[in-house]
Amino acid sequence: MENDEIVQNMLLELRRGVLSIAVLSQLSREQYGYSLLKALSDQGMEIDQSTLYPLLRRLEAQGLLQSDWRIMDEARPRRYYVISTQGKAVLTKLKREWSTMVETMKQMLS
Amino acid sequence: MNLIDRYIAEVGRHLPHKQRADIEAEIRSTLEDMLEERKQAEGTVSEAQVIELLKEYGAPRKVAESYVGPNYLIGPRVYPIFELVTRIVLIVLFGLALAGLGLSLAKSSLSEPEFLKTIGESALGLFGGMITAFGNIVLVFAILERVLPAKEFEEEEEWDPAELAREPDPDRVKFGEQIFETFFLVVFLVIFNLYPGVIGFGFFNENDWVFISPILTEAFFSYLPWINILILLQLGFNIILLRRGWWNTGLRVANIVLELAGIALAAAMLRGPDLASLTPAQLAGTPLEDSAGIFISLANWIPTLVLTIVIIVSSIEAAQMVYKIIKSRSSPTYPVLK
Repeated sequence: MENDEIVQNMLLELRRGVLSIAVLSQLSREQYGYSLLKALSDQGMEIDQSTLYPLLRRLEAQGLLQSDWRIMDEARPRRYYVISTQGKAVLTKLKREWSTMVETMKQMLS
Repeated sequence: MNLIDRYIAEVGRHLPHKQRADIEAEIRSTLEDMLEERKQAEGTVSEAQVIELLKEYGAPRKVAESYVGPNYLIGPRVYPIFELVTRIVLIVLFGLALAGLGLSLAKSSLSEPEFLKTIGESALGLFGGMITAFGNIVLVFAILERVLPAKEFEEEEEWDPAELAREPDPDRVKFGEQIFETFFLVVFLVIFNLYPGVIGFGFFNENDWVFISPILTEAFFSYLPWINILILLQLGFNIILLRRGWWNTGLRVANIVLELAGIALAAAMLRGPDLASLTPAQLAGTPLEDSAGIFISLANWIPTLVLTIVIIVSSIEAAQMVYKIIKSRSSPTYPVLK
């Protein structure tokens, strides 16, 4: 396997690991799937639809998100997601763990 | 039907029925958002751009798989037991076929073509039997895969290494034994109700395999509803036991009741009319004709033997259950991970 491919695979795994935190962090206000996708992408976190939607469903099944179908400005129904109370508590803990991890990695890599 | 409708219908084909409508609606909503964005940027959207958009979204099967996850007919948790049962059943079948072949080849009068024909027929019979047996085993384990709760085959979340040194917990269900018993109960149920003709009396006459069937009498079939009820109750009991994973007094009492019911039925069948019979007419024209009396007695004797074994085994199991209930009440309990 070429080095580039190895790096790409490892980056993919790294990103997969942080996606849940990234998604939870962006849902303090409600968003529909595509707007969330764009919000993540605008901040440099590119993610496939085929990864995002199953992840949203998983997080909802765990009780970390809530969703409902609604018709907002346009006359088209969209599913809106927002972080739940449990999700907020989990995100707070995850943020703390993430900061510790970043610090640890900084020290290890410096 | 436009391209997007066709795409969503194709994704939906690979989705479970329960979630299909919801996932389809979500995919449609996202695709429409993506299309609208492109329309705003470029003024119009051509069919080529829709095709490009769908390619970007992903192959329908792959998109559906991302929602569904892995799907097993027989998953890793029951696979080791499935493999063990399959191996035992196929080895037994192979052994029986080999013994039958040996008996028929032992006849010195076989000519070369007859010799080859016998081998060919045995091989074909064995192949068919193995495929049927394998299919039945797969069916039973596919059902078990779906009725057994996931946690029973997973490691305990918390465990104490000190537990490793202790003797096995008498309350823990032995999954291998229960699955083995369940498999054979299903096989009996299927054979007695759907293929009673496979129960018969077979032997080689010259070069031909002679199989005399039916040998089961009307008396046997008059007991069949009771046999079915008992097997179904036992199957239900086994499934509850497998799902729960632990014996308790209630389950042991229920098992004793089932064993006693089995003993009562077996005793009634023993006292009743003959359950299997061979008639002189069935043996006419075979080498067994001269000793028809012996084989007719044998046909009556085999069900008696089987029922006697059933009564003895059930009595031992019921007694073991009673002993375990008494022991669990009198002996001090130690903490176990349940």
